Amino acid sequence: MGLVARKIEEAGIPTVTLNMIWVYQRLVGMPRVAAIEHPFGRPFGDVDDVTRQREVLTAALALAGSASQPGAVEHLPFQWHEDPKATRWHPAEPSPIIAMMQARRAKKAAQEEG
Amino acid sequence: MPNEPNGRDDFEVDPWHFAGSFLANMLSRSIPDEPSHAAIPWTPFEGSLSGAKVALLSTAGISMKDDTPFDMDYERKHPTRGDSSFRRLRADATADQIEANHLHIDTGYIERDLNVALPLDRLRELAAEGHVGSLAETHYSIMGFQGADSSQLENESAPAIAEIMKSEEVDLALLAPV
Repeated sequence: MGLVARKIEEAGIPTVTLNMIWVYQRLVGMPRVAAIEHPFGRPFGDVDDVTRQREVLTAALALAGSASQPGAVEHLPFQWHEDPKATRWHPAEPSPIIAMMQARRAKKAAQEEG
Repeated sequence: MPNEPNGRDDFEVDPWHFAGSFLANMLSRSIPDEPSHAAIPWTPFEGSLSGAKVALLSTAGISMKDDTPFDMDYERKHPTRGDSSFRRLRADATADQIEANHLHIDTGYIERDLNVALPLDRLRELAAEGHVGSLAETHYSIMGFQGADSSQLENESAPAIAEIMKSEEVDLALLAPV
């Protein structure tokens, strides 16, 4: 995603990226990052939480005017309403790459035991 | 408080708050301790939000139901690769007109309320109240998981998205990974 932000910015359109894993900034270098501590899949807020969705959208858009230098990161001060352990964001089945890694790990463990 | 900013000036987002240790360990290995990126491009935002035409972009693999969905079978066959294409989304799209295909998240929330990832309703409200100038005619989705090779996303989809944004005279793009 950061790569897309860079390309759009290079084309002459200012960008703001709302980002949970904002530390990717160190790898990618996005023009403006609004960091948010929301679960994966719901960056703007929960289903039907109109207030939170609006607050996050407004705060992210405001960064366009307030960021003064490339690479600016602003930490949006919002807290999610559920404990991380109680927050369901995972797919019904592990993603293909996670399944592949888990299978490799299980195989390695079996070999070490055997 | 559930729906209140916590008010701390020194607040720093914990990027792994919801990740769990397995995912956090896997993803953090690819992130350097110090910036390692090339020079960051910069286009100043001039004017005001109240006059700005805004486009939104989500990485949730969202497509209009009358369009081709993102290709999940490709990723199932090649777990280190992901669909690198993009989709145009109409500014008046609602949850019942879209589908979301992304194998790394529960897309059910987005299919119940599109605004959790692509807040077109909220943006329309801000525009109606004069806080934002207008909505772009076109909004966008990519599918965020690109695995080992993001070159097609970077070199084909991203420039094509930028071209459409320029043709629609977009003033500001808000991108939201999921």
